[in-house]
Amino acid sequence: MKKLTRRQFMVLSGKAATGAVIFVACGLPERELIVQSPVELPEDLVRGEDAWFATTWGDMPGGDGLIVRVMEGRAKKVAGNPDFPVNAGKQSVRHDAALQLLYHPDRISRPLMRRSKGGALNPISWAEAEIEMINALEAAGGVTVVTNPLRGHLGLVAEQFAALYGGRHIAFDAVEQGVLHGAVDRVFGQSSLPDLDIGEAQAVLSFGADWLSTWVSPVSLSVKYGQFRGQGHRGYLVHVEPRMSMTAAAADLWIAPRPGTEGEVALSIAKEIIDHGWASSGDIGAFMENMPDGALDNYGASAVAERSGVPEERLKRAAEKLGTNRPALAFAGGSTGAHANGSFNLSAIYSLNYLLGSVGSKGGIRSNPASPLSGVPSSATGASLEEWENEIAQWRGGNVRTVIVRGADIVHGLPASVEVKGALRAVPKVIAFATVLDDTAAEADLVLPEKSFLETWGSDIPEPGPGYQTVAFQQPVVGPTVNFDEVGLVSDARGFGDVLLWASGDGLGVSSMEDLVRNASGQLFDLGRRSDSINAPDKRLFFNGALQRGGWWDNGATGDDLGGAAPNFMELGKEAKYSSTVPAEEGEEFHLIPFQSNALLDGRLASTPWAQQSPDPMSSAVWETWVEINKRVAEDLGIIEGDVLFIRSVNGEIEALAYPHPGVPPGVVGVPMGQGHSHGGRYAEGRGQNVMSILTDIKDSETGALAWAATKVRVSKSGLRRKVPKFEGTVEAFPTEPGVPVLVVGPDETAHEAEEANHHLHQQSIYGGKE
Amino acid sequence: MTTEVFGKHKWGMVVDVDRCTGCQACVLACQVENNVPLNTQERYERARGMAWIRVERYWEGEFPDVKARFIPILCQHCENAPCEPVCPVFATYHNPEGMNVQIYNRCVGTRYCANGCPYIVRFFNYWEPVWPESFRNHLNPDVTVRSRGIMEKCSFCMQRIRRGVRNAAKENRELEDGEIQTACQQACPTDALVFGDIDPDNNRTNPGRAYSMINDDRAYTLLPRLNTDPNVIYLAKVDPDREGGAGGH
Repeated sequence: MKKLTRRQFMVLSGKAATGAVIFVACGLPERELIVQSPVELPEDLVRGEDAWFATTWGDMPGGDGLIVRVMEGRAKKVAGNPDFPVNAGKQSVRHDAALQLLYHPDRISRPLMRRSKGGALNPISWAEAEIEMINALEAAGGVTVVTNPLRGHLGLVAEQFAALYGGRHIAFDAVEQGVLHGAVDRVFGQSSLPDLDIGEAQAVLSFGADWLSTWVSPVSLSVKYGQFRGQGHRGYLVHVEPRMSMTAAAADLWIAPRPGTEGEVALSIAKEIIDHGWASSGDIGAFMENMPDGALDNYGASAVAERSGVPEERLKRAAEKLGTNRPALAFAGGSTGAHANGSFNLSAIYSLNYLLGSVGSKGGIRSNPASPLSGVPSSATGASLEEWENEIAQWRGGNVRTVIVRGADIVHGLPASVEVKGALRAVPKVIAFATVLDDTAAEADLVLPEKSFLETWGSDIPEPGPGYQTVAFQQPVVGPTVNFDEVGLVSDARGFGDVLLWASGDGLGVSSMEDLVRNASGQLFDLGRRSDSINAPDKRLFFNGALQRGGWWDNGATGDDLGGAAPNFMELGKEAKYSSTVPAEEGEEFHLIPFQSNALLDGRLASTPWAQQSPDPMSSAVWETWVEINKRVAEDLGIIEGDVLFIRSVNGEIEALAYPHPGVPPGVVGVPMGQGHSHGGRYAEGRGQNVMSILTDIKDSETGALAWAATKVRVSKSGLRRKVPKFEGTVEAFPTEPGVPVLVVGPDETAHEAEEANHHLHQQSIYGGKE
Repeated sequence: MTTEVFGKHKWGMVVDVDRCTGCQACVLACQVENNVPLNTQERYERARGMAWIRVERYWEGEFPDVKARFIPILCQHCENAPCEPVCPVFATYHNPEGMNVQIYNRCVGTRYCANGCPYIVRFFNYWEPVWPESFRNHLNPDVTVRSRGIMEKCSFCMQRIRRGVRNAAKENRELEDGEIQTACQQACPTDALVFGDIDPDNNRTNPGRAYSMINDDRAYTLLPRLNTDPNVIYLAKVDPDREGGAGGH
């Protein structure tokens, strides 16, 4: 063996040491791969016990069941109640944002009163406020109670309270559903909204209603949409609306007709279905039975294509999809009903269900049963603009001495032509209940701090329900945030219902909303039904069960059969009317389509920053008012994103930031509702513009409802430009090639096949066919 | 007795793009659950809004043949995550349950990870998060409020995973499929998001919902040529009128 010299030993040792260092440096030290951290992540630790309380939010359309996570007396999260049959555990941005109504830093902390009209609102005690309220109610003259549309026990109390004082309860809904309720009643013989069995349908034809975002009961309808897409045979959705809404974007076929011609589009589809023999003779009979002879003669595809601006091919394709995929159903709402011929449009569309054989059947339209609680309203809608004009004339004429307002921001939501602010000033005593001062409460003489829905008792009967009797219970999930607590939160609030019951004395037979809810639970127990929701041996346990599950439902208690035949809707006013416009030199003419904001709705959630900062699905815009305009049209007019545009109607003018995109029909501009508040707390005040203020007072010819989609405007540049606050652009989008990131497959095509095809196309575009 | 075992699962998510309507329910639910700061108007105007999950919208075509395509994008929890090796302080690492995890108290804010992430799902706290005092009532006590200078991202609602695993162990039972729901999944009204254990070994006898979806014909991953091996699997959007060939964004 060769002897190792000292020099050789040193060289070898050095190499080995260097090698060891290099080897170690090539990888991460083992301990770093295994050991998490010397200090555990907070997320690794489970801190404290939480409790989830079931409740509902009676003020929201739809009547979704909710659960609220509470830790140490603080509400942390609102989520859908998985037990509740309407929304099946799901929620919307509105539900999450609602938590901030509870902890809003601008919550009204104590009663406020102004001594004279035009004076300042100053804090007073509840004792003083009570005296003021009783004096106002006992003074001679009429009383009007103004609320949002209320179902359940709060609706009952408001109605009975107004009657007790010889007054009137009138509901306000900025986006009126009166035309919808009227059409449903006319076509199906029931005024409450029916159950739309979208989840079981193979084809759906919807008009105007942005049912995946804001229309009627968007969470429950979205749940059904998920089922519709997830069936073994994927359903086909046709959506007709003159604006690309979230629902239009989800549709397989979007049709954008000239606003107001939706009824004609429906009839041309009906004619195509009949002419092609895609309907049975029985169904054709049910559809045509009450119609005059030759009723559809004027609705051939080519003629309607010309009048509606919809390519004939699209009308025929829609008819084919509806005619050849069953079960199929048709429904409508939103802007389709917001025209002078709104009742005709909706009646024609709902009547299509007779032709499709989907009335009362699986995958079609089914009735919802009456309320299981006698006298408790299960359906609610706002009064029509015509009714509002009459009511406000009474105020202005000095015939109403006291107006009580709650949950209805009429100053913000009614068209400027009504001049509601002046009318309120003519009423001697306006009493407003509010959590945060809104534009209407700011006009009141007495402002009473109201508890949020998370602090009060109540109930709701969902509309539309799931097709069987359902009652949701609302319970306080946190203690009242009374007086100054350790974080300075101040609210000496009371529940609206509780105050009305107190002011009624013994007039309504109970003293609190809690008693009403308990009594309702007792009535449900006395029905003696074995339901899927609660089975308990006595009333006390039954009540506990109802609170734990968030309500009561009996899926055996379905509605009456819908049937018969379509009405003669041809006798309704068929002509759409549009407002005139300001002179031509003041800009290009467009049809204005206002739409409810996905997060703010009509503005009722504008006070919450979570709703304000929630990106609009189509534009991703936030915190502002923008105007959607066709990209090509904008280019022709020299308009680019962020240009401040004047939008003028004959009733007024607003400013909005331009947001051009390719999904807007050329003759239309879309503006979201919900902004432009003078009050509403730090997050709403002075932000954006109120599109409702420039609407003209055209009404539906049958119901007198505001035709809020019938206004024409002129659009011109102001010369100013601002950045559109939006999420788009916050991160770099990466459509590096077709199919990235949204891969689209055709029927029977796999993702792999689509990826290969896309990649081949991409290579061709780069290398001109040589890969 | 069932014990709380860390590293027993491999978590993943399936996103069905065909069901997504772009409603933003997942975005806000995540923000509320994870104490993500308020995105003020100024933040948006400076392109510094934060969203652990976001819904991207892509236009396809021109009116009237125009489509809007939505896709929720969140941390892909890659097996070969480009963000992990670049962190000089090991603030981001891959945990034994397949998740890409951010350790806030290690992060020194180099933002190398954000530069390395091809999905752009990491967000940097340029400002100290500020809420009015009363809004601090609704902060989730299970989740750290990140301070200025810290990188943050989707954690697959790790606090919910921990709570679920602990509750199952406490009740001496196995964790059930679907028992743990991320906040975004819980909110999603169309059921477009499905979270679950996608470890093949754990799905042999009784395959879970997420696992049974990852081999769907429509399954794909984002930017597959980067070989990041994501644990978020997408199901392609279906266009029934598409006649083969290329499409999508």
